[in-house]
This record gives sequence, C-alpha cells and structure tokens, in this order.
Amino acid sequence: MMSLNIRRRSAAALLAGAAAIGLLATGCSSGGSGGSGDPATLVAYTGQAGDYQINFNPFSPSRIGALGTIFEPLFFHNKAQVSEPVPLLGTESAWNEDGTVLSVTLREDVKWSDGEAFDAADVAFTFDMIKANPAINTGGFDGEVAAVDDTHVTLTFAEPSFVRGPDLLSTPIVPEHLWKDVNPAEDVIEEPVGTGAYLLEDFKPQAFTYKANPDYWGGEPKVKQIRFLSLSGNQAGADAIAAGTIDWQTGPIPDIQNTHENFPNYDAYTQAQNQMVLATCSSAEQGCTGPQTDPAVRQALYYAMDRTQINSLAFMDTASDMSPTFALTPSQDSFVSAAVTEKTVPVEPDAAKAAELLEGAGWTKGEDGIYAKDGERLSLTIEVVTGWTDYITAVDTIASQAAAAGIEVKAAQSSWNEWTDKKGKGNFQLAIDSLWQGPTADPYYLYNYFFDSSSGAAVGEAAGNNYSRYSNPVVDDAMDALVQMPLDDAAGRQPFFDTIQAEIVRDMPYIPILTGGTTSVWNTTKFTGWPSDDDLYAFPAVWSALDAAEIFKHLEPQG
Amino acid sequence: MSYFLRKIGFYAVALWAALTLNFAIPRMLPGNPVDILLAKLQQRGGTVTPETREAYALLLGGDDTLPLWRQYIDYLGNLFQGDLGVSVSYYPAPVSEVIGQSLPWTVILVGLATVIAAVLGVALGAFVGWKPGTWLDSLIPATTLLAAVPYFWLALLLTYLLARVLGWFPLQGGYDVVLTPGWNAEFIGSAITYGFLPALTIVLASIGGWLLGMRNMMVSTLSEDYILTAEAKGLSPRKILRSYASRNAVLPSVAGFAISLGFVVSGSVITEQVFSYPGIGGRLLGAVSNNDYALMQGLFLFITLAVLGANLVVDLLYGLIDPRTRARS
Repeated sequence: MMSLNIRRRSAAALLAGAAAIGLLATGCSSGGSGGSGDPATLVAYTGQAGDYQINFNPFSPSRIGALGTIFEPLFFHNKAQVSEPVPLLGTESAWNEDGTVLSVTLREDVKWSDGEAFDAADVAFTFDMIKANPAINTGGFDGEVAAVDDTHVTLTFAEPSFVRGPDLLSTPIVPEHLWKDVNPAEDVIEEPVGTGAYLLEDFKPQAFTYKANPDYWGGEPKVKQIRFLSLSGNQAGADAIAAGTIDWQTGPIPDIQNTHENFPNYDAYTQAQNQMVLATCSSAEQGCTGPQTDPAVRQALYYAMDRTQINSLAFMDTASDMSPTFALTPSQDSFVSAAVTEKTVPVEPDAAKAAELLEGAGWTKGEDGIYAKDGERLSLTIEVVTGWTDYITAVDTIASQAAAAGIEVKAAQSSWNEWTDKKGKGNFQLAIDSLWQGPTADPYYLYNYFFDSSSGAAVGEAAGNNYSRYSNPVVDDAMDALVQMPLDDAAGRQPFFDTIQAEIVRDMPYIPILTGGTTSVWNTTKFTGWPSDDDLYAFPAVWSALDAAEIFKHLEPQG
Repeated sequence: MSYFLRKIGFYAVALWAALTLNFAIPRMLPGNPVDILLAKLQQRGGTVTPETREAYALLLGGDDTLPLWRQYIDYLGNLFQGDLGVSVSYYPAPVSEVIGQSLPWTVILVGLATVIAAVLGVALGAFVGWKPGTWLDSLIPATTLLAAVPYFWLALLLTYLLARVLGWFPLQGGYDVVLTPGWNAEFIGSAITYGFLPALTIVLASIGGWLLGMRNMMVSTLSEDYILTAEAKGLSPRKILRSYASRNAVLPSVAGFAISLGFVVSGSVITEQVFSYPGIGGRLLGAVSNNDYALMQGLFLFITLAVLGANLVVDLLYGLIDPRTRARS
C-alpha cells in the first residue's frame, strides 16, 4: 500500500515538473523556428520522410547528400534546357572521330578539402573503382581509363559511346588517397572529403548541415550554411512553408498559383519536366491482352481526352503542353521532326476523330454506346496508385471523357508496391505514370529508356524501363545508329529522330496526356538568384542533387 | 511454481508463432525492394538505365534466390544471434542501428504520454467514481468525446490553434536542430518544448478510456460490503477512498496499463506524421512502403517482444498481487 501511494505521488510530481519546465522553456525560446533564424543559413526540405540515416557515399542509392555539393562531377549538364555543359572539375572534353575515346582536360590547382591536391590520378581511380565494383556501376561503365598527365584523362571504349558522355562526365569524383581502402558499395563515408563548394558541418538524424568551403576553387559560395531538415512528408513541408521555417522545398502546396499572395516571402516556380502518359501493355506478341493492344484504340483514347479539363481538375493548371513525339516542349523543340503535323497534343477532345479511328479498325458501336469488336467490349482498366490524388482525379476525368467517345475506362487503385509490380510484370492494361528525362536535354535518352525493345520483356517476366513492351525493329535500328553519332551533330542525327518519332507517334505505346510540372517553393526575401524562365541554369528541384548543388552556388543572401 | 512454468511455456509458443508470422507476412507483400528503389529514384529525377537496375539488384539482392525454407532457418538462426540483418531502404545500415536511433524518441514521448494519461485518468476516475451522480460525471462525456474524435483531427486542430495561431509551441520536429543532442539543459529544454504538444494530444486522446474504466470500477467497488464495513468502523472518507476503494478498483487498470506500455514501442505513426516527430512509427511506415523486409521484421520483432513481455509481466505480477488468480489455476 505504501509503495503504491509513493509511486503515484512521484508520478504526479514528475508531471507537474514536466509541465512547468515545458512552459518555462516556451517562454524563453521565441517561437522555436526550426533553426532558420540565421539569415545566411538556407533551410531546405528534400522530401525525406522520417529521420535521416547517415550516408554520404555519392554512389549509394540511399545516400542523403554530398553528391554535387561535396563530391563534384567533371561537368554539370543542364537537363532543363539545351545548353553547353558547365565545366566543374573538367574544363574541356572531346570525343575522337568514331566516338571511342573521350579526352578530358582537368582543372588545375584544385584541392580536396583535406588539403591534398586533386589530379588526373583521382579521376582514373574513380572510374577504375566503379568498373571494379559492379554494384555501384549504375552506368554500366566498361571502358578503359588512363591518366595521360596530371591534367589530362582519356576514357577508351570498344564501341562508339557518344551518348554515354553526359552520364560519364556527371560521375562524382572521389579522392584516391582516402578511397583506396574503402568499400565503395558499403561504406557510408561519415566524413566526406571532396572538392565541392560545401563541407559537411554536422549530422543528426533530424537534420544535417553544410558549411561553405572557404578554399573552393570557384570562390567561397555566398550562402554560408545549408541545413536539410527531415519532416514527415510533403504535407509537413507545405506546413513548414506556411510557418516560414524552411526556405526551399520541391513539392506541391495548396493554392499554388497564389503562393506569393499567400506567403509574401515565397515564390513558386514550376518546371515542366515529366511527361505524363497512359502507359499501355502494348505488344500482343509479348503476351499483352486487352483492347489496348490495338494501336487504333490507343489513338482514339489520345483524341478522346479533354486536356484543358484534366489540367484544371487534376493538376491545378500546373501541367503544360506536350509533344506527341516525347521531345520535351519547349526546351527540346529543336529535335521535333518537321513531318510531325501535331506539334503539341490536342487540348480539346475530338470525338469524331476517335470514332473514325475505331471504325477504321473494325470496331462498331454497341447498343450501350460502347464500341465492340468480335464480341469484345472496348473496356479498359487504368492502374493508379492509391493516394496519388492528382492521378486519381485525372483518371476519373479521363474515364468520363472516354465514355463520351464510346470507350469504357475503369480505374483500379493499388499500393505503390503492387502497382510497380504490375507494371514490371506486364499485368496491366493501362497505367497512369510519367516518363523521365535523361542526364541532359536530349530526347535520345527517353527514347532509349522507354522505346528500346532491349529493356522490354515478355509478360510475366520483369521488364526494365520499357514496361509497355514496345518492340519495333525500325526504332531499335535508328537508336543503334544514334549511338554512333556525337550529340552535337544535330544535322546528322535528325533523320533518325524523324524515323523514331514517325513510328512512335503512329504506334503510341504511351498515350501522351500533358507535361507535369515540378514545383519548387522558395524564399525570395532571404535569397536571390533562383532559376527563372530567363535564366534556367539548372533543373529546379531540391532533391535533384547535381542541380541543387549548382543552384546553391548561384544564390545570394539578402541583407 | 507450475503456474509460472505453464505461463512461460505458453509465452514461448506465442513467441515462436509471432516470429513465424513476422517472417511470412512481409513476404506476402507485392513488389520487391529493387523495383521500389528504382521507382523512387526515377521519381526523384534520377536516370534509371538497365545498367542501374542490374547494379542495384546486385547491391541489395542475393537473398531472394535462396529457397524460402532456407531463408526461414537463416532468419531464426540470425535472430538468436541478435542479428536483425541489413536495412534495404537505409542500405548499408544494420537494422538494429536504424531502430536504435529512433527508439529513444518513441519510448520517451509515447511512454511518458501513456504514463501521464494513465495516472491522470485513473486518479480522476477514482475521484469521479467516488461521487457518482454529481456534476463531476460530466467529465466522462467530455473526455470520451476527445477519445472519439479521430486522433489525427484532434492533433491537427490543436496544432493549428496552439502552434500556428497562438504560436505557443513549435510546429514540427523533436528539438531545435541547431542544438546538439546530449544531456545538457538547453537540448533537454528544447526537446520538452517540442514534445509538449504531441504528448498533450496523446494524453487528451487516451485519458477518456482510463477515466471511464476507473470510474465504473469505483462505482461497483463502492457497493461492496467491505466498503460499508469500513464506513461503519468510522474510517475517514479519504482513507476509504485511497486504501480500500481505489486499491481494489485499480486492478484492471494496472493490467491495461502494462499492456499499453507494451504498445509504446510501436510508436504512434499518426503522431509522428502530424508533428514530423522522430521515432519508430515513421520507420515502420517507410519500411512497409519500401518493401524493406529486414527492417519490417526487426520492428515487428521489437513490438512483439514488448507486447508479449508486458503481458508476461502482468500475468506473473497478477499471480503475486492477487492470490485468487493463482489459487484458481
């Protein structure tokens, strides 16, 4: 009896004490702003959900930072705009005539942040290390690297490899003297030493901080500190913007059009980068089943969409035009074939055109207003991820628009894991998704990822990127030819782009919807120099490490 | 003695069943970790080439080629050596490290909040039950209302009012990240400031249950003959309240309390989401969405052990403090 009483009393005292300390502490710290009080500190949120686990290995897929900011590549390639690569550790690069030897001239007088000098041996070491460790060789590097002298390196390949240039030159370079004893696949590099503009100041699971590198070869950056916070997700990020505790997040916030009116310190900038599509399991030869294996059905669906309505209902009018050739518009317009008549996707529905296409392919309208062929109703299911509300709204909108054109469309929601699994194995008819871009502004990469038959697979087997299982020898051949040509040979490459575009616009294994925007919200009162329409020097997304590193260097604190 | 042996035997079987389920359930999830990792990378604008897929399959894979029974044996064997494996989503960090980093936050926040809610609820319940039918009874609907409101809604409302509008508490996080975690007054003060609001929401949402349970037990205990005897002996009402009525009425609450302590380690996924508070809940959510089998298993193991352990302790304690339980068995 005594003991129980004592315990209860002490618990009550503990509670009272805790409450008192709590109130006291609140009284002292003014507001508790999450640490953005210091004007020279930029606080960013990368979308990391939950705590950070330390990992500053630039080759690790679970890295939390260091790529670009601490470990620099040879060149920076801007994927937001067609432009010359920005020299970083390299100053010049050139391919030989047949694309088998890439020569790179390196910057002189660069030092690692521990004081050692950077030279060609480090570059050679980095590439050799990647080649020797298949688990980190994400670019499939199989060439020979040689340091000619302190400032010249050559990469030699057995086959023409022009198209690999941007990926190779974006490889982060690491110091030989520290990495020679490191297992690059498994070491988390708790104390990263690089050549970049920033140094790691401290790490905590809830936040990590960079500080400016005073000896950076390009001059000490003006933003002196960058802190990355961990929050619980995009919603928490939007809350933090509203509370003014973070300076940059890439992700949606409510009422995006009026960001500046709602939060006077902030501005929102949307860069159209991901082309949203209804991906189809397109190839009957590979085992796909369903009406969508008929190109006429895919075309009809393409014309049945009312994209103005989709954009306003599902995407808050942040989506933009798209070219049916999948060359990103407007930044890659120069690659679009002259033979393609529709430069951008139709914004208004064209039911007559859809009907004409379907009837031309032998479909007839049934009594219920839905087309049918050989007793098979034109009914399709679109797979969408649970909780991806913009896509779900888009699919519902498309369903009602398709019904008007005599096509029945149903939505099937599943978890992200299950959805990914269905796509990979080919157990789907249609899936709403977006296609991503390559390492630089060039449509070759997207064609290679999504339309090349080598990354497809039969239904039931796991496909690579080309999960539509599109397989077209004409496209494959054109792509093989493009590999043989330097990226800057626009005149030579264009005929092959024309061929690819003619084929994929006709076959349409991915039905274009619109180009989705990536929206960044950033603090324009504290910092200037953010990318803009006039000067889009990098793809503005805080989670895109190499781009973010470039942006950090451009920013200037105000006042 | 046989009572304790039987209990422990039962818990051993329960533990084995839990471990087996723990192995099986994550493997029934669709998808595999490499696909999820790649999907995540490409969503983040990374370029995913066929070579990338190969490299990451090589980095993370390996396990899946073994037959399932082999994986099961290895799993049990590793568990007994305390090896929980390597987390895929935080590769190459070991699971025990990932959990160890988050566990203290959860145990302190949810643990303290549970203790406070239970102590307050039981004390108030005893008091309310002591005088049934008075205005104090209105505490019951008031607190059950708080418990009935969906927790996330209550949490969001309080956050909006106390953090956004009034600015009394910080909105998100576990402490001011400028500070370095450690045993210094500044950090602890900051942690308390940041933890106050999340703890408040947990206490408000769960106090109703304790209060209601205790109050009802009090009412039925008060009608027992021994209370009448105590009153007849002329003991003071306070003495009767504390030593006779409450002590008997609190027994079911003690059992409930031990069990709810077991659930503390599972954290509070919603609390952590709303407040961006560090802890186990966020890890669990991440593990499930990333098909991170090892981390899932590790987390479920901790939760299972804590719940089983708490139950075992209650069972054994019950045998000690309430001889009737032991006699009947």
